[in-house]
Amino acid sequence: MAENTDKMVIDGVELTGIWKEFLPSRILYEDVTTEFLDEVKKLPGGSTILKCYQCGTCTGGCTLPDFVDKFNPRRFIDLVRRGHYDILVNENKDLVWKCVSCQRCTHRCPKGVNTQEVVRAIAKFLEDRKVFGKLTNDEAFDEVFMEEVIEDGRIDEVKIVKDFYSKTGRLKDMMSADQLSLGFKMLTSGRIKLFGGKIKDWKKVSQRLKEELQ
Amino acid sequence: MKTVLVIGGGVTGLKTASELAEMGYNVSLVEKEDYLGGQVVRHKYYKLAPDLRLAGDVIDPVIKAVESNSNIKVHKHSHVVSVSGSAPEFKAKIKNSKGETEETFGAIVVATGFDHFDPTVKQEYGYGRFKDVVTNSEVEEMLNPNGPTKGELKRPSDGKVPKKIAIFQCVGSRDRQVGNPYCCRVGCVVSTKQAIEIKEKYPDSEVYVYYMDMRMFGRGWEELYGKAMEEYEVIFTRGRGAEVTLKNQQLSLRAEETIMDRPIQHSVDMIILAAGMAAGDGTIEAAKVLGIKQNDYGFLAPKDDFLSPNESSKSGIYIAGADKGPMDIENCIVEGAAVAAKVAGKLKN
Repeated sequence: MAENTDKMVIDGVELTGIWKEFLPSRILYEDVTTEFLDEVKKLPGGSTILKCYQCGTCTGGCTLPDFVDKFNPRRFIDLVRRGHYDILVNENKDLVWKCVSCQRCTHRCPKGVNTQEVVRAIAKFLEDRKVFGKLTNDEAFDEVFMEEVIEDGRIDEVKIVKDFYSKTGRLKDMMSADQLSLGFKMLTSGRIKLFGGKIKDWKKVSQRLKEELQ
Repeated sequence: MKTVLVIGGGVTGLKTASELAEMGYNVSLVEKEDYLGGQVVRHKYYKLAPDLRLAGDVIDPVIKAVESNSNIKVHKHSHVVSVSGSAPEFKAKIKNSKGETEETFGAIVVATGFDHFDPTVKQEYGYGRFKDVVTNSEVEEMLNPNGPTKGELKRPSDGKVPKKIAIFQCVGSRDRQVGNPYCCRVGCVVSTKQAIEIKEKYPDSEVYVYYMDMRMFGRGWEELYGKAMEEYEVIFTRGRGAEVTLKNQQLSLRAEETIMDRPIQHSVDMIILAAGMAAGDGTIEAAKVLGIKQNDYGFLAPKDDFLSPNESSKSGIYIAGADKGPMDIENCIVEGAAVAAKVAGKLKN
């Protein structure tokens, strides 16, 4: 092909280049790729992402937008399918996690997309790519929770709060006056115990769990 | 007078002729080309939506029914140059390379069909300027094993199989700029079908469809749309293709992803324009010769769209098929049979 519309030379003067210099490009994004779609659809729960035809029933009936502005499952799906990785990370990485799994979207989807699972898969996809950097409070709590369950087989309220604060580097906050008074109230009313009970022979189960999770 | 003139040897005209002949009427079928089958044969349609059955399986029996019936006289390479008289007796002059003949008919059926819209007018799409911008009918020819590329999808510029393919919907349809504000009614399903065929043949390729609306109203069309999305992973992008340019010697299209509120530039190897339907040359010629009414877009106008859909503005002259407006093959066959019944009923009295 001879013609190249990148450049237009008339009488020795290159015209389009000059225009391009002071007219900023309107194009925000170049190229479309199915790279990320291919990845997400292989994750557990991600396969139904292909079915979506962007009607917006999921977002329309979603529980979250009342509380979390801009939470939009339809948009997450479209961003992955179009390969708009930058928007997904910059604008949506903190949103994707907020799904409360009420399943309204999944039950209402006219095309049979398991929307809640797909949103989870997208969150997993982002987690695998380590886009979150520092642990968020949610994630830190999840980790502490899992560690505790694997270690002791049950949750010890005092321990989990202590571990959570230490994990997020805020042990000082835990010792603040209002936190301590809250803790004291809960202790005296029997809501929490200082020393939680132990589960008999949990060590073996714990060992097995750790092996399995390796 | 039990002789009927059928103008047009496409699927509608063929069906009308064979139905009338079966009912015992004599039929003269006038076709301007030297083959029967109309656009289906001309552009070597390969498979038909939504079942992906071979077009030959549909058109061959229809052609055979005409050729094997002794009540039908087929005039190939012929034109109707003038018609005089009125119902129930018309005198028509049929001209071919050998000369003119005049015959008398009791009724005339116009089944002159459509032409594919010529996208050269849409300069921003670069059809004619860029070799790798092709129309959907050219792709249909390519995908046919009897076609010019023996069933391979090849880029016209270098003969390579394209990896990234974009399909533009509504080229010359729903477009006031070219005077065609109507929907072509088949572009959506044909593109979806072609996307599936391409993905089936070349699973590594990526097919992107740029559309304003996917109008899947026909039998099994919506299901085909779902299949293209789910099984063949065709990427449908809502946003009309705006322009095609060359960037680093590669085709580059611009469009807006309206769902994402995002203008994009997308480099592809080949662009297929889903060119719509326009009133055929034959239709315009027939309207002139017969003096029947056309609508704003050149298609033939029925006497009453609801109550007498197959009667033209002139008594004794009937219209059927895609000369009335965009129509798919399935409905053209229905129209052909319907108009045959109408004509037979009229001539019986």
